[in-house]
Amino acid sequence: MVTIFVGMMAYVVYFMQFRAGTVIANSRNARQNSFAEVVERGDIITSDGIVIATSSTDSEGNTSRSYPYGSMFAHLVGYDSYGKSGLELQANFYLLRSHINIFERVYRELKEEKNRGDNIITTVNYSLQEAAYNALGGCKGAVIVMEPDTGKILAMVSKPDFDPNDIDNVWAYLHSDEGKDSTILLNRATQGLYAPGSTFKVVTLLEYIKENPYDYDLYEYDCSGSEIYAGVNIHCYDSTAHGHESLADSLAYSCNSSFANIGMGLDFGEFNKTTRALLFNSELPYEGEYNQSDFVIDENSESYAMPQTAIGQGDTRITPLHNLMIVSAIANGGTLMKPYLIDSIENDDGARIKKYSGKSYGNLMTAEEAQILSDYMKGVCDYGTAARYFNGASYDVAGKTGTAEYDNEGNCNSWFIGFSNPDNPDICISVVVEDSNTNGLSASAVAKSVFDTYYNMQ
Amino acid sequence: MVNIICEISKYLIIFFMILYTVKCFTILSVNDEQSRRKKLNKQIVYVFIIHFLCYLTLYLRMGSYKLLVFYGVQIFVAIFYMVVFHTIYKDSSRLLTNNTAFLLLIGYIILTRLDFDLAVKQFIFATVGMVITSFIPFIMNKWRNLRKYGVFYGVIGLLFLITVWVPGLGKEVYGSRNWISIHGFTLQPMEFVKIIFVMFVASMLVKANSFGDLVLNAMISAAYMGVLVLEKDLGAAVIFYVTYVFMVYLATSRPVFLIGGMGIGVLGVIGGYVLFKDSLFRHVMVRVEAWKNPFAHIDGGGYQVSQSLFAMGTGGYVGSGLAMGKADTIPVSESDFIFSAICEELGVLFGLALILVIISIFLSFVNIAMKSRKAFYKYIAFGYAAIYVVQSFLNLGGVTKFIPSTGVTLPLVSYGVSSVLSTLIIFSVIQGVCVISNKEAAKNEKEKERIRAIKEQYQSGNPY
Repeated sequence: MVTIFVGMMAYVVYFMQFRAGTVIANSRNARQNSFAEVVERGDIITSDGIVIATSSTDSEGNTSRSYPYGSMFAHLVGYDSYGKSGLELQANFYLLRSHINIFERVYRELKEEKNRGDNIITTVNYSLQEAAYNALGGCKGAVIVMEPDTGKILAMVSKPDFDPNDIDNVWAYLHSDEGKDSTILLNRATQGLYAPGSTFKVVTLLEYIKENPYDYDLYEYDCSGSEIYAGVNIHCYDSTAHGHESLADSLAYSCNSSFANIGMGLDFGEFNKTTRALLFNSELPYEGEYNQSDFVIDENSESYAMPQTAIGQGDTRITPLHNLMIVSAIANGGTLMKPYLIDSIENDDGARIKKYSGKSYGNLMTAEEAQILSDYMKGVCDYGTAARYFNGASYDVAGKTGTAEYDNEGNCNSWFIGFSNPDNPDICISVVVEDSNTNGLSASAVAKSVFDTYYNMQ
Repeated sequence: MVNIICEISKYLIIFFMILYTVKCFTILSVNDEQSRRKKLNKQIVYVFIIHFLCYLTLYLRMGSYKLLVFYGVQIFVAIFYMVVFHTIYKDSSRLLTNNTAFLLLIGYIILTRLDFDLAVKQFIFATVGMVITSFIPFIMNKWRNLRKYGVFYGVIGLLFLITVWVPGLGKEVYGSRNWISIHGFTLQPMEFVKIIFVMFVASMLVKANSFGDLVLNAMISAAYMGVLVLEKDLGAAVIFYVTYVFMVYLATSRPVFLIGGMGIGVLGVIGGYVLFKDSLFRHVMVRVEAWKNPFAHIDGGGYQVSQSLFAMGTGGYVGSGLAMGKADTIPVSESDFIFSAICEELGVLFGLALILVIISIFLSFVNIAMKSRKAFYKYIAFGYAAIYVVQSFLNLGGVTKFIPSTGVTLPLVSYGVSSVLSTLIIFSVIQGVCVISNKEAAKNEKEKERIRAIKEQYQSGNPY
């Protein structure tokens, strides 16, 4: 009996030494907020040193939070009243801990002043965030940018947005009749579920390569602009007839007829397995708020579901974050690095408390498959659907465009996923622009401005 | 200024707690009467200091004059008890009275911080309980044939246990039907039945001289387990079962009963799980799931354990200081989860020391049991030691996520009238056993002395 008690005490010590740190950082630990009585919430700073959230305390000890760049970082940083969101939620624990030196701590304790909390250095780059924010302009949509070999998120924009400095009015608006259906608080980059449109052809292509590893490049197709598969009529964009094409051409020209044809030849059960390996219908390795993607085809599905699904219409839904993960794995030799937003934690004097580094989630596909997809996606930007945006750029791009119809009246969202410098990828991006048919903004154009900014910075 | 006094008190409280704990163990191994008394007196001083610093902090943080009055009454009663009990019963264990008073005081401190009225209620019932149970050693001395009523104890206990099913009397709490309520006054029959149960098993074992007696004993005991399982009070069933197995092993000193008993227990749990996981053991399953990953079930069954771990982790080794944490937000922090509240505000170091104090109490129980020459008293002391240690383990293990939580109280520290009264009875019975065996030892000593004297006279060749 005594031995069991000693075991229990050893367990308590083990918990305190090795587990407590992670446990108490859980955003559901309400105790974090009681730290706010003695600690002034720390700053949130971009990787290039720009303060995007800060606190000030007045003479009566009331702390107020301000966001110097307002809505530009709205969803990324989040808000700290009426609940919490974004980094304010995810990093709450660290912002409310103070690792200030002991002398200053005692001095402030005696004066009954609050200690300065630790600062969060994010992975986000101010210039890229600004470029993405401006490129999206007044359109609804999302942009998310990441380093494929580390998982560092460099920019994350969602529109429509809000001004976190003005959260009182935002909240009042959301609870008014006029604003009750508003989605301005939704972070479309991680929570917005969209039909993937033609960007999903990358997944269909991957499955085709998996099922035909030796002769996939012998594929040929004659496109007449439209075709009927399993009773479903599939049109190419504007009913353009692409003529005789190879597999590479089918992707480059984003040929719907050809991909529906490919889809009909796939094993439904295997296709489902591949999408599961790509994290559809599952949790994503991401610490912030997000939604899971949907993919509905499995070995029991009827064949009429396939033509639409193979070209990214149908019932498939994906978030820009998840599409980014897939494309980043292609860029990184098949390995997905976990996307992360917190680079390091520093105390108020700038001394480093904790440093985060890239962690691998594992392989979503083999290195060979990633290389093939990368080569084909380069064709999209060299001579295919995205060529008119990237021809003449000082850098190479591998990518995939998409136009996803979301109703029967021709309204559609524009997609772009891709990465620059395919030989040794620098950054990858996922962009969605809502209602591109009416606002005339293409996701590829948004991606182009972000890439331009990135290479101008170098 | 207030901050600094409270911060310093926080560290001093842990320091004196550690000193107190060390004394608990060193006293057990000291035989010299003089140094023993010195150590026991020192313990009382430590109790006084710890209690004083805690109430000082509480007063500074909460600023109510009621606290000062309550403090005064508490420390008076505690010291009065520690001194007077031993004056009346010269042969009682002073270590045990010290620990009894100390555990109660820790309970009062945390309860005052959580809910002043609850603390006062606990104090009143515990004080009345201390007065009443003080007569137990006296009664045990008078009536020396308590061992003879085995079956009677068995039946009375069983009848009392099933009162929870009497319509209008019993009620269900947290998925277990183990409370009765009389005119708004609630108690848990199990808390008192466990006392009778040990007396029943002890007296059956004393007169057991055939295998048939053991079987009869086992069957009635099995009926207890059955009732507890039907009440869905699995924590209590475990306490009764382990106690029973330990007592049988002690009486027969055959390892086969210990190993076999534990084996049957494990099989019973597995069998119960397989057969009734969707009906009888449903709420047990919820607790096991919550134990495996409390954070995944934080909005359901894992809520309590998550909050408990948040509390301990955030408080850290030295704690947040009394009234500076959020111990009041831990679910049922006044009873089942009081240990998390203690860890959060007084520190995990204090909590670890408290676990050691509890172990030392168990060891002192076993010590008293082993010294007793009368089988019946030996068995009941041993049975109560088992009850105390198993219940403490279920409670502490549950709140620290070492084992799934079973919803039992931490004896004397947790709020609960039934729990405090029954523990006080148990402690007093142990004192009674201690008094009886010490008296007997003294008598034997005298007897030996007399015989030696006669022998010497005889050998000197001049008997008269």
